[in-house]
Amino acid sequence: MSDIEATEIIDVGDLDGEAWTDYAIAQGWSDGMPLAVPSEAAVERFTAIARGDNEPFPPISPSRLIPTLQSLAANAVMAGCRPEYFPVVLAALRGVLTPDYNLHGTLATTHPCAPMLLVSGPIRRQLAINYSSNCFGQGNRANATIGRALELILLNVGGAKPGIMDRATHGSPAKYSFCFGENEEESPWPPYHVRRGFAASDSVVTVMSGEAPHNINDHGSTTAEGILTTVAQTISQPGANVISGKGPLFIVLGPEHAQTLARDGWTIEAMQKDLFQRSRVHASRISTENQESYASMGRLPVDGHYHLTPTPEDFHMLVAGGPGKHSAYIPSFGGTAVCSVRVAASA
Amino acid sequence: MRIVNPSFGLSLAGTEQVTTRPVDWLNDPIVLFTNSKPNAHALLAGIREKLAGVRRIDNIEFASKDSASQPAPAATIDEISGKYRVALLALAD
Repeated sequence: MSDIEATEIIDVGDLDGEAWTDYAIAQGWSDGMPLAVPSEAAVERFTAIARGDNEPFPPISPSRLIPTLQSLAANAVMAGCRPEYFPVVLAALRGVLTPDYNLHGTLATTHPCAPMLLVSGPIRRQLAINYSSNCFGQGNRANATIGRALELILLNVGGAKPGIMDRATHGSPAKYSFCFGENEEESPWPPYHVRRGFAASDSVVTVMSGEAPHNINDHGSTTAEGILTTVAQTISQPGANVISGKGPLFIVLGPEHAQTLARDGWTIEAMQKDLFQRSRVHASRISTENQESYASMGRLPVDGHYHLTPTPEDFHMLVAGGPGKHSAYIPSFGGTAVCSVRVAASA
Repeated sequence: MRIVNPSFGLSLAGTEQVTTRPVDWLNDPIVLFTNSKPNAHALLAGIREKLAGVRRIDNIEFASKDSASQPAPAATIDEISGKYRVALLALAD
C-alpha cells in the first residue's frame, strides 16, 4: 500500500476557533457546520478506546482508500463525539462496508438516502442514546454526533463529496446525522437485535441506506386492525424507491401503537405478512412508462399489484419513540441491505 | 497546531497493466452500455444514429446493468468484454 495523502499528521499553524472553522471548511472536511479540532491528543483518546478492535477495514467507496484508525478517530473528534462513542461509530462503519449494503451505489445515487443507524442493546443506556421522545430529532449529543461521525468519514475518507461523487437531486437532512436507539423497554416484542440472532446482552448497530423518517399519524384507531390499515395505506406509495420489491424498509412503531397491536395479539411475523400484502401498490397507480421500465428489468406485478419489498421479512419492525399516537416509515434506497454489527468491547 | 488528517487513507497496492490491440473504429463491435435508466438508453440511441453516418452499425448493440442501483454482475462484464472491442457508457437518470 502507498500513502495517498502525504502525511497523516498536518501542522496547520496557529488557528483560533473561527480561523480553524474557516480552514476546515476550506479543506472540504465539513458538513457545513463547525468542527472540533482533531488534535493528536484528542485522537489518541479515541484510538485508545478502540485498541481491542483489530479487524482491518476494507477500502471505503468511492475513493477506495483504506482508512487508518487515526483518520477515523479524527472524524469522530471533529463530529463532536465523546471517546466512548467511537466503538459505535466503528461498528456502523463496518455495517455500511458490508458488500450487500452497496455503499458506492448509496453514496453516488440521486436518491435522498442516508445511512440510518439503529442502536440496540445495553450500550444505548450506557451512552445515553435517545430511543424515546424525539429520538429522530435534535437535542442529544450521542445521536447527533455518532451519525455525524459516520457521515464525515464517508465524506473525508470515502470521498463522497456533495455535487461531485454524491449526486443526490435534493439530498436529505438525514445526511447530517441519522442515529437513534430502539425503545426495548416499551416494546411488547423481543428486541430487534435478538430477533436477528444476537444475544440480549450484545450491543448492536444496524444500518440501512434509508430516507428520512416519514410520519404515520393515527390518533383515531383503537384497534390493531385500524392501526395496520393506516400503516399499510400510508406506506403504499408508487414513488418510493423500493417500489416493485427492490429492497427493505423499516416500520418504527411508537410505543402506544405497539401496545395496541400487542394487546390485540399481533406478532412481528403476523404484522410483516399482513403489511406485505396490504401495502401492495395496484398497477393502476403506476404509470405506463414505469411499468414498462420495471418489466424490462424483470420486475412484474403479482396479481395486478407491485409489492414494496421482496419478502415479508424485508419489513423490519421495532419500537422507538415516546408518548403519542405516531409511528414512522423509513423506506430504503432499494438496492441495499440491512446489516447488523455487534459493537466491539472497549479497551 | 498539529492535527490528524481526517482524509488520510492508504491506496491498494499495484494496478494490473494490460495491453490491448488497437481499435478499428469503423468495424469493431461496440456495446452501448447503460445504467438501465431510460434516458441513458435514449442518449446512446442518438449516438448510434450518428455513427450510422460514418460506419456500419449492425454490430453496435445495447446492453445494461440489471439495476441502476447495483453494480453490474461480474458475469455481465466478462460477457461484454469478450464480445465487444469498445464500450460506450451512459449514466443518466
